[in-house]
Amino acid sequence: MTLPTLHGRAAWVFTEDDFDIDLIVGIKNIKITDINELAAVTMTSYDPDFARSVARGDLLVGGANFGYGHPHYPAMRAMRHLGVAGVIAESFSPGFFRGEISMGFPLITCPGIRAATQRWDRLRVDWERGVVVNQQSGAALPFEPWSSTERATIEAGGFTPYLKARLARERAAAAA
Amino acid sequence: MPYTMTEKILARVAGLPAVRAGDEILARPDFVIAYDFPGYTDVFFKEAKEDFGVAHVPSPERFVLFIDHMVPAAAPKEEELHKITRAWGKEQGVPVHEREGIGHQVSAELGYATPGAFAVHFDGHVSQLGAFGTLAIGARKSVLETFVSERMALVVPGTVKIEVTGTVQPGVMARDIFHHLVRVLGPASCRFKVVELCGPVIDAMSIEGRQTICGQAMFLGATTMLIAPDAKTLAHAQGRAKIALDPVYPDAHAHYDQVHRIDISDLAPIVVAPPSPANTRDLSEYAGLEVQMGYLGSCASGRLEDLRVAAEVLKGRRIKPGFQLHVVPTSQAIMSQAASEGLISTLVDAGAFISSSSCDYCYGRIATMTDGQRAVSTGTLNTPGRMGSADSEIFICNAAVVAASALEGCIADPRPYLASVTSVATAQEIPA
Repeated sequence: MTLPTLHGRAAWVFTEDDFDIDLIVGIKNIKITDINELAAVTMTSYDPDFARSVARGDLLVGGANFGYGHPHYPAMRAMRHLGVAGVIAESFSPGFFRGEISMGFPLITCPGIRAATQRWDRLRVDWERGVVVNQQSGAALPFEPWSSTERATIEAGGFTPYLKARLARERAAAAA
Repeated sequence: MPYTMTEKILARVAGLPAVRAGDEILARPDFVIAYDFPGYTDVFFKEAKEDFGVAHVPSPERFVLFIDHMVPAAAPKEEELHKITRAWGKEQGVPVHEREGIGHQVSAELGYATPGAFAVHFDGHVSQLGAFGTLAIGARKSVLETFVSERMALVVPGTVKIEVTGTVQPGVMARDIFHHLVRVLGPASCRFKVVELCGPVIDAMSIEGRQTICGQAMFLGATTMLIAPDAKTLAHAQGRAKIALDPVYPDAHAHYDQVHRIDISDLAPIVVAPPSPANTRDLSEYAGLEVQMGYLGSCASGRLEDLRVAAEVLKGRRIKPGFQLHVVPTSQAIMSQAASEGLISTLVDAGAFISSSSCDYCYGRIATMTDGQRAVSTGTLNTPGRMGSADSEIFICNAAVVAASALEGCIADPRPYLASVTSVATAQEIPA
């Protein structure tokens, strides 16, 4: 299994620290379960054209402690539906981090990324070198490595497939 | 070699002689705790069976479920979820505690807060079991792992030690102390760490106050928080503990990622202004701001000391006409004790609306606010829309501030209404 290719534009730079991701869809929309309906309201208070301007493979950039509060799943469900492939932030709040990694959604902790990124800059995560490259400026910023479980979860595309594969391996090893 | 409490607890449950912060381990939780909620338990039940072919959870005696959200049900769909939960518990031999109170509190009453134990939940407020020296982690989806295997993968967290010193001023409660820590240290200061809380203020604090602080650990960015058990917590645990374990203490020279000593002698009651739990402010900045709703309850602050202080403020007085004061004791046992102490009649006589224990006030399922309304609340969170309209506002504060604000119809300082209360310093037993 391999890690996903993360190479896209910074569709938005959240400049706030301790950003509550519930604000992405707006709290009044948090109970919407229809994904198209949810996607339609995503980011409307930041940029009414967001849904139209974002493209598959785009990334989000965040500040420190991104996902603070009680992070619910709808915000990133909507972002994935719009094609957003991952979030690169100064740092993440643990509950948000665990929750989204378990969905198979890559979150990259990369100190310095916020100041180094303008909206629509092209960013590329270089897994081998362990850096995020800003292709506009040429800056290469090291990111923090995942634990082996986190990495394997992203490779598998989520916690359920990861766990299935791991348990199957363990059973096979026990039978051998 | 010296170790932290977390390293010691996790070494035992990983079956290893020793572990260090940063190690990746497979740990066997002593307890798996959950409340039923759409998208969580119903999905765990289904995935365990259908995706993993696991008909029975491993070691079901470790599991406990609570029905504390959507009680009573307000729609057939909600009751359907509870029905599924009851059926699953029966089939699996897992106890389901229903309408006994908010699970994070009831689990302590039932003995799942065993000192030295390791507990997991998908919800992070389970950290309040740390008040008893239990390492309790909100692991979100990883809880599925415990439904299909004995053990759960995790990285041993590092520890931040916070020592709280000084003199607690009148009108200041555990709630103020916690939010003061967020103000001083910052909401990201303890990210992915376990906070070990100690110091003379914590030593003198009631068990309830310790639960309040530990339960809010996530707002310091922490994975969880815990306090080394003392005579008070051990006395509580004795006779309740679900399993026999030796309590765990930190070694004298254990490694801490950071050590903070915070003196709270100058601390006065605070409010946490919207839109974020990171926004701790002096109460005096907002005193006089009109509010229409008060909520005294939640897993954070609806315990006896909260009800007692509110009753002291409200005794012989009437809340402002038009103000809605909702009082929700954290558990049925607390409700019962409050009734026998006469607190309930004091609160009712003052005009409070008392409800049975439920999580539903905290997220606006009931007592919902509309546009332009404002609440003082002891709930967990003040994000706009948490208690109804996204155009309403929530100010988090202690129970005495809620009560005083109910009298005045605006954010109010409780100290003029209090004889001598520093409830933090009064050690109260929580009911059995």
